[in-house]
Amino acid sequence: MSKIRLTPLFFRRVHKWIGLILGLQFLLWAVSGSVMALLDKDKVGGHGAGMSHSHPLPAGDYASLAALPRGETVQGVVLRDLGARPVYEVHSAKGVRLVDATTGEDMLVDQDMAREIASMMNDAPIRAVSVMAKPNLEARDFKGPMWRVDFDDAENSSAYVSLDTARFLVMRGDTWRTWDFFWMLHNMDYVNRKSFNHPLIIIVAFGVFWMAGTGFYLLFKSFSRADFRWLRRRRKPVVTRSAT
Amino acid sequence: MAIRWPLLVRRTHKWLALVVGVQALLWTLTGLYMVAVHIDIIHGDNLVRTPAVQSFDLSRLSQPSQVVAAAPGTSEVRLQRFLDVPVWRAETPEGPRLFDARTAQPISKPTEAQIAALARRIYTGDGKIVSIRLLTTAPQEMQSRKPPFWQVEFEGWNRPTLYLSPATGELISRRHALWRVFDFAWMLHIMDYDERTDVNNPLLRVVTWSTFAMALMGAWLLIWSFPRRKRKKA
Repeated sequence: MSKIRLTPLFFRRVHKWIGLILGLQFLLWAVSGSVMALLDKDKVGGHGAGMSHSHPLPAGDYASLAALPRGETVQGVVLRDLGARPVYEVHSAKGVRLVDATTGEDMLVDQDMAREIASMMNDAPIRAVSVMAKPNLEARDFKGPMWRVDFDDAENSSAYVSLDTARFLVMRGDTWRTWDFFWMLHNMDYVNRKSFNHPLIIIVAFGVFWMAGTGFYLLFKSFSRADFRWLRRRRKPVVTRSAT
Repeated sequence: MAIRWPLLVRRTHKWLALVVGVQALLWTLTGLYMVAVHIDIIHGDNLVRTPAVQSFDLSRLSQPSQVVAAAPGTSEVRLQRFLDVPVWRAETPEGPRLFDARTAQPISKPTEAQIAALARRIYTGDGKIVSIRLLTTAPQEMQSRKPPFWQVEFEGWNRPTLYLSPATGELISRRHALWRVFDFAWMLHIMDYDERTDVNNPLLRVVTWSTFAMALMGAWLLIWSFPRRKRKKA
């Protein structure tokens, strides 16, 4: 075999071959990036917490703190409001227990409560409510069992409410679902759609970087003065050096 | 005259590439950085210690209702620790405030020395604290977060910096050189050179679709780029 010489022809070949092997992914990156840039980020939503409302806690007496533990070692306590009624979250190694702060009784996050909490975030009528033992793809940023409340609105919105803490987790709609499909094409994590630090994408990104790099270099080799003659023709005739 | 497709497609590819070439190169370069350095490292997870889980003896503590009475409008009261002292953290309309959980008395805002001690506890590295400052305006790297906050910078090549709340001494954010590079790469990637957050800006929309067209023309060119027969000898 002859020695590799760094000629434009060599770079053109590299560009061509990487294009053949990885070009499809570059195309997918371009189209998914384009679509994500088009989708209104406010409609996609779902990024960052702090979406839920919070009401001031009513003054007055609450169930005694000392009565909260039921034999477990308490690792944390939160007093908060839940649809204008105060509740305690009791954190322990076993998880989170919800206690009505007025009566001191344990609370269950049932379907009615899930509906009530979800309705605070969306005025549309509820179409269906289901319970999930594990988060699905749409609620993958959260942990634990949760309620899914589907709304009858234009976006086909679904609200997710934690079964342990009754906290509103996230709202997902059709714009987000479209966005998420293209985000999957972009991050190449076809199973979990979450990681963009896996070996496949690193290898492909490395290859595509060389395709772009050689392509950029070839720009300088592919254009001649003749290509820009149309620009010059429009200018006022000025005295130029003769093109000998 | 019949259209000479290979020539037309090649010209389109070339001219589009002339327009978007720099950005396409930047996309692959910044993209490569963002996929190669793990996001947990970027987030600085290795810089901070997760606080050890400790139990509370609830029978010795004050009632959170006392905190609600002392700070009307409080929406949440949370039991946590401030330098080993159990405290109630109240989310008040004026921002978070701390109360001693044993007495329900308000705790004064942490001093600079206490902030240093807290930062030392959180930080996993061995480096010394280089500077502690109470900032009243947000630097670019704190994005939309509202000042004031304590900025504690540690010694080290990556200039690790912790941001703590002046009201509660809690960790708000952590920054370091790799995060700052990532943020810069992200800015180049989404072409929002101002706020670094708008992924819908018109410039990005035009250049992404142009790049898509350029890539499509490139893919089309592949058809003629691998001749099946040997070229005729000249």
